[in-house]
Amino acid sequence: MESLAHNDVINLLLKLATMLLVARIFAEVAQKLKQPAVVGEILAGIILGPTVLGMIGPDFFEFLFRSNPSANLALDGIVQVAVILLLFIAGLEVELHLVWSQGKSAVSISLLGLVVPFVFGFLTPYFFPGLFGLTEEKKMLFSLFMGTALSITALPVVVRILMDMNLFKTKMGMVIVAGAMVNDLIGWLIFSVILSFMGRAGNFSLINTIGITLLFTVFMLSIGKGLLNKVLPWTNKKLAWPGGVLSLSMAFCFLAAAFTEWLGIHAIFGAFLFGVALGDSDHLSEKAKEIIHQFINNIFAPLFFVSIGLKINFFTNFDLGLVLVILVISFAGKIIGSGYGAFRSGYTLKDALAVGFGMNARGAMEIILGLIALENGLINEKIFVALVVMALVTSMTAAPLMKWALNKKAEEPG
Amino acid sequence: MYRKLALAIAFSPRMEALIAEARKLIQIFEGELILIHVGTKTPELEAQLSEVLSRHCGDLQRIKTIWKEGKPTKTILKTCEEEKVDLLVLGALKKEGLLTYYIGSVARKVIRKSKCSVLTLIEPKIETTHFSKVVINGTELEITPRVIARGLKFCQAEQSSQVHILNEIKLYGFQMATAGEGTEAEVANTRRKLVQEEINYVQGILDSLEPTDLKINIKVTAGKWAVELVRFCESIEADLLIMGDEQGLSFIDRLFPHDLEGVLEVLPCNLLIVK
Repeated sequence: MESLAHNDVINLLLKLATMLLVARIFAEVAQKLKQPAVVGEILAGIILGPTVLGMIGPDFFEFLFRSNPSANLALDGIVQVAVILLLFIAGLEVELHLVWSQGKSAVSISLLGLVVPFVFGFLTPYFFPGLFGLTEEKKMLFSLFMGTALSITALPVVVRILMDMNLFKTKMGMVIVAGAMVNDLIGWLIFSVILSFMGRAGNFSLINTIGITLLFTVFMLSIGKGLLNKVLPWTNKKLAWPGGVLSLSMAFCFLAAAFTEWLGIHAIFGAFLFGVALGDSDHLSEKAKEIIHQFINNIFAPLFFVSIGLKINFFTNFDLGLVLVILVISFAGKIIGSGYGAFRSGYTLKDALAVGFGMNARGAMEIILGLIALENGLINEKIFVALVVMALVTSMTAAPLMKWALNKKAEEPG
Repeated sequence: MYRKLALAIAFSPRMEALIAEARKLIQIFEGELILIHVGTKTPELEAQLSEVLSRHCGDLQRIKTIWKEGKPTKTILKTCEEEKVDLLVLGALKKEGLLTYYIGSVARKVIRKSKCSVLTLIEPKIETTHFSKVVINGTELEITPRVIARGLKFCQAEQSSQVHILNEIKLYGFQMATAGEGTEAEVANTRRKLVQEEINYVQGILDSLEPTDLKINIKVTAGKWAVELVRFCESIEADLLIMGDEQGLSFIDRLFPHDLEGVLEVLPCNLLIVK
């Protein structure tokens, strides 16, 4: 087995330390300003990357992040694992039983909140390819991607906002959470199909890949879940706690990820589905969930979010027109879609608007999606930057907008 | 509280025990008893029934036996509606095989579709069961205030010695992980707040009811409430679990289990469904 040289190790450790430190500082600042930690962590990456540090201290930036290819490769491996783990907890957060118990209104809000932004995201590039600098042959795939990228709500951001506003336990809060969960699930399914279209190095033909993807999904959510329900009580009883359940769930998460990567759709999809199956099991205790969340959220998530800023220059790739177009279609799609869904299920106009604003928060998932599309040459850096900005802006504005909509209601007479 | 009791009988070995149990309930609620049998009326069966009845219900004035033919579930439910029954009592097995779970046994079908309250006994005894340790589902649902009110009345009539009301924190792990973005003190505070909110919810309902002399214990769990209810009932060896139901369950609900389905899958103890 090859190993890192003395200098490589030092460089890798310095990278990791810097990334975690700066991410922590900015996450704390973000929280002081009542913003999600993700926002701070992404900003930390932009500051450490070519955008800021590369401009003001190019020598230091070069030394830390560019000079050592072996250490860079090692870091890339760690970031890959981080993305897989992020998707794993995203899956863990989806609790199907909560969705069913919320009934029709959650499904309606969620489906409309998925379909309308998808349509907006799809049609805009499809009919105005010039805006995005698209060529004819890429148009279809790009439009599909854009549709998906605009339709996934950031569940952790939403939960945090709802908890801060004391809305989590209300009917509206539960409906938003359930809606966001369905969104996640369907959004990723669509994306996995797009991934197979992208023609990555897979082992199967397109139709087969899609078929196997769907089969794998059904398998994970039925038989896979059943198996977990059988295995988990045993692990809880016989193995060390929480060691047993932690290492086993990681191991199976990586196995599922390896399987989907082998299929030719991305590794993250397997991790996500395994997360859904595990999270929905009766026997995974809430305490274990909390531990899994904590260590991924606070160690792996910041590494990933900082790494985004390290890859791309956000200044030279910032295209104001593009950013505005994406912002407008993302706001309009989600607010109209989810809002109308809520209105249709009997919410007042103001409440429906609040639901729309809440569902509008995007975050990690859009960025991960964008990154994969970027790596596969489907989008360019300008569009990726615009997507990251969109995720930041929608996450930052969700809470104030919701407050505004609900306050407006309080001012009304009666 | 329950003026009209119906008992579904099937001439199984457990019939006598079920009749004895129903007789005891009639005594508590001072109501009338209706026996429902779905099947052909034969002199032998009639003789068998009247022999059992004379042993347990000889003194009972208001008692009626209805013989009907047809599909068991439908006939039982229809008869209950026609007779305006308040409480239907029936026996059920503790656990069903996978196949019967999806197709459904008569007992579980009746539980799902009945319009009146249903008391399911998994181990009826001739010497009758005393519902001493009772667990009530206090999870925040629309029907919960009613379930607690009716449940406590039942416990009072039965003179239960200990009543546990279980409420759950929804998505506890996720909420705590999200709260993990605060300082240690803030996180501890959130944890306390989450637990307190659930206690307050049940306490609020209790405060709105007339005070009782029952020993009531409010317990907060995290996780899926149906699973937690079953676990809790098993751990304290409860005699009775009282819960509400969600209307209109169908085959789809068994594919994507609702919370009631989780309890019906393996009955942890006797079960009273309040409608």
